[in-house]
Amino acid sequence: MKLDILDSVFTLEINKAKARLLGVVFLQLHFNDVIPNSGDCVILEGIAKRFTKDDHVLENISLKVSKGEFITFIGPSGCGKSTLLRLIAGLLKPSEGIIHINGKTPELADSDLAFVFQDANLLPWRKSIANVALPLLLRGVPKLEREAKARMMLSLVGLNNAENKYPWQLSGGMKMRVSIARALSISPKILLLDEPFGALDEISRDHLNEDLLKIREKDLFTTFFVTHSVAEALFLSTRVIVLSRNPGRIHTTIDVPFSYPRKPDLRESPEFLSLLAQTTRALRAVL
Amino acid sequence: MKKITSLLFPIVSGVALIAIWYGIIILFKIPIYVLPTPGQIITAAWTERHAMLASALLTGQGAVLGFTCAVVGGFLLSMIMAFSLRLKKSLYPYILVLQMTPVIILAPIFVLWLGQGLPSIVAITFMICFFPIVASTTSGFMSVDKNLLEVFKMCHATKLQEIRYLRIPSAMPYFLTGVKIAGTLAPIGAITGDFLAGSAQNGVGGIGFMAITYFSQLQTASLYASGLVACLLGFGFVGSISLLHWVLLHKWHDSLIKKE
Repeated sequence: MKLDILDSVFTLEINKAKARLLGVVFLQLHFNDVIPNSGDCVILEGIAKRFTKDDHVLENISLKVSKGEFITFIGPSGCGKSTLLRLIAGLLKPSEGIIHINGKTPELADSDLAFVFQDANLLPWRKSIANVALPLLLRGVPKLEREAKARMMLSLVGLNNAENKYPWQLSGGMKMRVSIARALSISPKILLLDEPFGALDEISRDHLNEDLLKIREKDLFTTFFVTHSVAEALFLSTRVIVLSRNPGRIHTTIDVPFSYPRKPDLRESPEFLSLLAQTTRALRAVL
Repeated sequence: MKKITSLLFPIVSGVALIAIWYGIIILFKIPIYVLPTPGQIITAAWTERHAMLASALLTGQGAVLGFTCAVVGGFLLSMIMAFSLRLKKSLYPYILVLQMTPVIILAPIFVLWLGQGLPSIVAITFMICFFPIVASTTSGFMSVDKNLLEVFKMCHATKLQEIRYLRIPSAMPYFLTGVKIAGTLAPIGAITGDFLAGSAQNGVGGIGFMAITYFSQLQTASLYASGLVACLLGFGFVGSISLLHWVLLHKWHDSLIKKE
């Protein structure tokens, strides 16, 4: 009798192992089928997130993103767009579904990921340069090397003169630039930005949008962006994903056809404006 | 100009107070052993300057030692408690119990353990300074900005890196506030220690010990003078701590930044 049970448990384990093996093989085939360069992509499969039992924040989110794409999530407050970004970043774990980042889970892929938060989140006791160098410091990069890199990043975001300033000496826009420079310091393959320019005035926001695209031209990282502004979303992205709320689902995906580099006056072109109207309508439908 | 007026006010009020003081003594013919004049106090302080200086040094020594132990011990204990909630829960109530027990009662216990003199005085000072440091530093370690913690999490920081580069700097203003409060208490603690557990070496004791001696001999002017010395000692202590506070925080902390 006992032996029987043991035997059946044993068989079960073998079956599980087989299933795992098959699963892996299947997954690899799947990868190779969909995206030729399977090393550089983000795949979300049936993602759901619940914070409590009945609180369905996100449901059935599936998405494939190739290297170099610029994806923007847009939607009403509470549609889970920030949560989605945090799931990709590995700051949260999905309740259901799988996330692959360059073929790895977000936890293992962390070194390829950088996150720009809603607030600049700078350490108030560190000068700009030391704030930008922080991720490198935490990785054990030697002082001279990390400062050289940090200086490079600061000039990339147009803050050559601010390296010795403390956060309190910087304006909101400058703090955000430092925060972006910090994220870029580790040369990430994937950059995640959670409403980074939400607190800024429109002119600073437009400038930062243009600069973000310029930086992206130089080092083609995959970008995930969250915003409330339709114009910002369209100006930046290759694809805009409109999320509905309660629970958050993908409502519409809008492919943005404009080629890069995008000029500031793109915002005034008729094609842009008509796409803006179309996207606003989609957004209004989910409100 | 503003500086001059801001200096002028305390000078004027000080002169007025001294005048009232003299007035009351003359008007009500108060004898010197009840209330000496400021002049008599200064004279007493000057004639006994050697004894005063020696007792100030002795008390200062007790204050510095007790204070230093409290700062180091308080900081370490808060750090340990900040990283284990269980440890905090098991220790904090008893730290409170110690704080609630009056020093007047603890002092004889210390004397029984450590004998009359410096070790007991240091222990009493420590007891008085310890709690404000632990209370404020612990809350400093606990109230780290959640967003900054996420930045560290995104960077794969180890626990030790998080302590060194995030928690200790964030807790620094809280810690220094605790240190400031402890600094005002340290000379008082040491003088209380003199009072309750002090002894004389070569006829000189700490300020608290001297105060009892002057009182028993009805040398009221000298008693007041020892009060003056204690006050100066306190100012010296607090002044040096404010300097430390400024050195550590003036570059970044809101409380010390002068914004245009």
